[in-house]
Amino acid sequence: MTAPRTIWILVSFFLIALLCSTTGCSSGVQQQKTVLRVVPAGSLLQPFDEVEKAFEVQHPDVDVQVEGHGSIQAIRQVTDLHRPVDVVAVADASLIPDLMFRTDPTTGTNFTDDYTPFATNAMVIAFTNTSKYADEITSANWYQVLSRTDVRVGISNPMLDAAGYRSIMVALLADRYYKNTTLFPMLIGSHFAPPLSAPVTGGIATVTLPEVLRPSDEKLVIRDGSIFVLSHLEAGGIDYAFEYRSVAQGHNLRWINLPQAIDLSSPECADEYGKVRVILGFQRFSAIGQERTGQPIVYAVTVPNTAPNRQLAQEFADLVIEKAKIGGKGWPAPLN
Amino acid sequence: MIRAIAGICAMLVLFCCCAGCTSTAPAASTQPATSPVDDFSSWNLTVNGTTRQVYSLDQIRALPSTTGNGFAVSTVGIKYGPYTCTGVLLTDLLAPAGGISPGDQAWISAPDGYLWVFDYEQVQGKGFITFNEDLKEITSPPLRILLMYEQDGKPLTYDDGGPLRVAIISDEKGVVTEGSAWVKWVDKIEIKKK
Repeated sequence: MTAPRTIWILVSFFLIALLCSTTGCSSGVQQQKTVLRVVPAGSLLQPFDEVEKAFEVQHPDVDVQVEGHGSIQAIRQVTDLHRPVDVVAVADASLIPDLMFRTDPTTGTNFTDDYTPFATNAMVIAFTNTSKYADEITSANWYQVLSRTDVRVGISNPMLDAAGYRSIMVALLADRYYKNTTLFPMLIGSHFAPPLSAPVTGGIATVTLPEVLRPSDEKLVIRDGSIFVLSHLEAGGIDYAFEYRSVAQGHNLRWINLPQAIDLSSPECADEYGKVRVILGFQRFSAIGQERTGQPIVYAVTVPNTAPNRQLAQEFADLVIEKAKIGGKGWPAPLN
Repeated sequence: MIRAIAGICAMLVLFCCCAGCTSTAPAASTQPATSPVDDFSSWNLTVNGTTRQVYSLDQIRALPSTTGNGFAVSTVGIKYGPYTCTGVLLTDLLAPAGGISPGDQAWISAPDGYLWVFDYEQVQGKGFITFNEDLKEITSPPLRILLMYEQDGKPLTYDDGGPLRVAIISDEKGVVTEGSAWVKWVDKIEIKKK
């Protein structure tokens, strides 16, 4: 056997072996990818899909599994259900200190000790081209259009979704902003039996919801989550929906912006937002009370102390924060 | 000589392959098992109405059972099911505790701190939003509320909400209901009079 031929055989042997080992290992790696479990609020699902893809490109050995929930339910995956969650992101930053800055009895340490606010949002009125009066509604007359008897309006369930109780807050704030105390009844309150009232005590308008939220007529529609409200909107079952601006944008819907004094987007208006309060019909979770007071919308992310993959989790959270600064379709607005 | 070199190379390659497969792979997902072992011997269900009834799991299983089709969806659109659900009808559990009348409510809760409230109409299977399998809203067929202890013919596991979980069932297949009412790990039912 000549020397070049020997070398050729050896090189071929190495290449074949390398190919086999790579193939063999890749299927093994596939099975053994590190799972990074990420639990965001529902309104973050679209942007987190983008982050998931980017993170998995950066970390081919990681399988990011995103599981959406309402913000409180997202936190409860860690605090009450003790699931191995790596990253939690919520649509109401105040929930993290309220629910997670406390001792985990199974570890003796807090569920988490810090969090990072990374975005804000605004409540808008979403609609489609087929919505009644779609060519007429503006930021100035929206409440008049929504009050018309032939217009149907949707909100998500305040018991389950922060966007739900924030929708009610917008209607309460509209009462104040437009100095018209018939707005909340026309938009929300009069569509229950008995009607919901919003008495003002100490300068704060408070509405107490019934245990079972079932509207008494077909003008107001309530569904468990935003996706069902928007599905109804897109199917023509309702004409308008109270929704986050980022979600309306992500669903390619039309929307009108509301004045900052009522859209819950502005820290400068925090005092005004604080003058409305919603008391939920019952305490769905023992860990958190029934009162929700108006405040600016702030999204936040945290890595629980029990995260199985803390370093990767922090990298994922950092990527969320970085991408939120850039924003984009479906992203809540960057924090200033 | 050449054979010796080839032999050494083969061993090196084999070693590299093995080393590569064992050392460069990332740590396997180490999801700790968080659910307790499915030992429900100390579990019981309390039903508070005009009288107070306490049931062990064996006593629940000894009651007349009902089977139906259950299919739930979360608030973000994740579907759970379809399941064949077997258990005790809520109305059958409420009756011995004094029953439920128009205007009353059934408060169903679990030790994880979750509570859901059903009004009289819902206890009768009315007033729920229903979807088809594509999550398009449909007119609700007759529904019933079940306290499920078997799912797909097997005892309900802790991870699935066992030993007892609310299920909204239908005789029809493919009827999806909102999952917020499907309380897991139920251990308490209270009848609130109007």
